[in-house]
Amino acid sequence: MFDRISIRYKLIVLLGLSAALALLISSVITIYSTYLSESRSSLRVLHQLTDVISENMRAALAFHDGESARTLLAALRADPHIQFAVVHDEAGQPLAEYRAAGGRADVTARLEGVRARIRENADLLRREDGFVEHIEEGSMIVLRPVFFEGKPIGLLAVVSDTRLLWAKIRELVLLQAVTSVVTLVLLLFLSVKLQSMFTRPIMSLIRAMREVARTKNYRVVLESDRRDEFRDLHEGFNAMLADIRERDDRLSRLATTDALTGLANRRHAMEVLQTMVVRARRKAEPVGVIMLDIDAFKKVNDLYGHPAGDLVLQEVAQVLLASAREYDLVARLGGEEFLVVCDGGTSEVTIAVAERIRAGVEARHIEYEPGALLHVTVSLGVHAAVPQSAAGDIEKMIRAADKALYRAKAAGRNRCVVAQEEVG
Amino acid sequence: MKRFLWGLLLLLCVQVPSVQAGDEERKLEAVFIGRFASYIEWPARPRERFVITLLDDNPFGSLLDDLYRDKRIHNKPIELRYANRLDQVGETDALFITLSSSAARAAAIDHAQRNGILTISEAKGFAESGGIIQLDFIEQKARIKINHAAALKSGLRIGAPLLSIATVLRGDKP
Repeated sequence: MFDRISIRYKLIVLLGLSAALALLISSVITIYSTYLSESRSSLRVLHQLTDVISENMRAALAFHDGESARTLLAALRADPHIQFAVVHDEAGQPLAEYRAAGGRADVTARLEGVRARIRENADLLRREDGFVEHIEEGSMIVLRPVFFEGKPIGLLAVVSDTRLLWAKIRELVLLQAVTSVVTLVLLLFLSVKLQSMFTRPIMSLIRAMREVARTKNYRVVLESDRRDEFRDLHEGFNAMLADIRERDDRLSRLATTDALTGLANRRHAMEVLQTMVVRARRKAEPVGVIMLDIDAFKKVNDLYGHPAGDLVLQEVAQVLLASAREYDLVARLGGEEFLVVCDGGTSEVTIAVAERIRAGVEARHIEYEPGALLHVTVSLGVHAAVPQSAAGDIEKMIRAADKALYRAKAAGRNRCVVAQEEVG
Repeated sequence: MKRFLWGLLLLLCVQVPSVQAGDEERKLEAVFIGRFASYIEWPARPRERFVITLLDDNPFGSLLDDLYRDKRIHNKPIELRYANRLDQVGETDALFITLSSSAARAAAIDHAQRNGILTISEAKGFAESGGIIQLDFIEQKARIKINHAAALKSGLRIGAPLLSIATVLRGDKP
């Protein structure tokens, strides 16, 4: 379920949940610490009250003066939270007690509670510094012995309700709840804004990846002004695109060039020639085609070995590249057969190129071994014309140039023959 | 005669609880003498003991001796003395007077005032006649009456907690 949600909403949910959890923990700690401090504070007030009363109660207890004890306890009515107070004499008998007017009906239960605390803490309450404090549901109790001349002469118990304490806690809980809700809303609002810091570069990257996938344009370079991990992500993506480009280039080279000579291979040559012919036909310009073949190449292989033959092919290719114009197509069609296509080449231009090639090869000294040279010649067939149709003309032009090449061979090699007419 | 005997028996039956209550009150009275002293300041005296003297009859029997043996008041060991006549009362801090004659009580009060002695008695009108503390028991409840003016006249200072639970006479009259 969660993994189906967009990363944007995941971030909002996570930020919201984190904030809610932090607020909850903070609120619980605050409320609990407030409860502790408030209950301690309430008990401290009750202790102070008990101390004051027990100081004045001493004389009343010393002289068994129940009337004075009642008068002293009656002063507790000033505090509306005091529910009940009782003073016991040294025999454990109630000397006086106070019950708040309109107090809770369970005072009898409270009194029994006080007696139970006295029984449970009898030893503690015989010590001059002894006291008992206890918080239970709805009330808190403080018990303190009253000493006279170092001897316990009575015991004072004061029971207060916890309404004030719980009222403060309720107020705090309400305040915490309101604050938490407001903070959570603000944080969610902020998280909507903040999540874009993370999602914007990711979404940008996703858009770019989709665009590349759609257009197959691997030459795109993604720009990023970030300095964090997103920069690494962009750089990684760019590096991956660069690898794809390099691989494509390599594959393209492997698909279009001849591995030995570095010239265009037959397939690529035919594609380029097709393009040239189409353009030439549209512009009504001529295309010059030169078919050439190394003379007696089999002998070279037989006499000097295949490495020497490969070297001859590479040297001839160099001559072809040097002799052809920059925008001409030079290709190895296979074996010792080559093709040169002169873009916009008139018959004169094409013949001039062919002658440059022939002369260049003838003049080339090929050092097949250190200090050992050999020479080869080439025969060339030339055809130049303005193409009339696309596919048909290519075949015709090549066939015409090929026929001229055979005629050059037949005429004694190392020469250039123009289709329908011979030169050189 | 028969009627008289039944009446006597009835009277005895009624008297028994009151005798028991009287014992209890006497015990409290004995305890209270020491406790009164704890709330009262005397002028500084170079005495090593705190002296309580009973003038005239001793209604406590051995109660006071039992109660105050090895006890201390104002950090001094307690000495109990028993005097039959005023001229037998020497230096003392507290004087419990059981004299039945008001004239004799007045003389004792006068002596006490001149010598800074706390006077205590259960005699009616004791506080009004210049005694410092009058102790009554009504229905087994102690009632303390203090003549504050008399205490001041004797040079004694009575602590507020004791005054707060007592009926205080500010002048010679209530």
